[in-house]
Amino acid sequence: MGTAMTRDTLAQILDQALQDVTERTAGVRLNQGEHILGDDLCTVHITFDQGFDTSLTLCADTSLLARMARNSFHEEAVTPEDVEEFSKEYLNVLCGKVTGAIYRATQSDVHFGAPVFYHGRYEPEGQEAQFVLTYTDEHSEGAQLIHHQVPSGEGKADGTDRREQIR
Amino acid sequence: MSKRIMAVDDSRLVRVQLEDTLKGTDYEIVAYCRSGEDAIEQYPVVRPDLVTMDIIMQGMDGLDAAETILKNDPDARIVMVSSLAYDGTFERAKAIGARGFVDKPFHQEQLLKVFGEALS
Repeated sequence: MGTAMTRDTLAQILDQALQDVTERTAGVRLNQGEHILGDDLCTVHITFDQGFDTSLTLCADTSLLARMARNSFHEEAVTPEDVEEFSKEYLNVLCGKVTGAIYRATQSDVHFGAPVFYHGRYEPEGQEAQFVLTYTDEHSEGAQLIHHQVPSGEGKADGTDRREQIR
Repeated sequence: MSKRIMAVDDSRLVRVQLEDTLKGTDYEIVAYCRSGEDAIEQYPVVRPDLVTMDIIMQGMDGLDAAETILKNDPDARIVMVSSLAYDGTFERAKAIGARGFVDKPFHQEQLLKVFGEALS
């Protein structure tokens, strides 16, 4: 992630953050394991800045995100807009947890931009996937958290007010 | 008697989490604000016992809003609730007079401990 951190350490931070945030915000227990994502997918993507030229992509079965949104918002039914709102806020909280853990491990002050939501699978153009963590749950729905390397310069602030960019 | 909380956060997810976490406790959320500007306007009207303040929001951020509220009411009890758990953020929050800092996502035990300290 542009820090002195090893890939294994970063993967461990991401895994712990994802499991903790998912259970606490949505009451869903995700475990790493084999899972083939279905055809109905959503993706949320977030880019880190301040020289940490990386991004995180969460690609998940829409049914999983919808169930997490229903649990989190205490709604019996959710709209596609609710799923989008939940997914972006969820990735925000997840990235907050990740940057906090990176800070504690390396004293590096890492910031990230606003999450972007896509229907279907989105793969950031020109970014190389460093590793993929695959998750599944008791309903056999799943998600992938993908860590990408951003070509140098693309991950940095674009000149807009940073207070509106970082979360 | 319940302690009255004014929650300032633009996240629906965090608002619901806060409600869940405070259910059955001595704290009651009496007002929500989605921005720093809204918080400054609402504070003198609501007169809460405690304010929970997110940091990164659209428009004025939570640290600036907290500073303004504390200038107007030095006795205001404000707890920052944010994922920006960095030394610089802690130091600025402390310097402007915030009474505590809670890391997102929060645990009930942690939240109640910081609230208790902020109100003591």
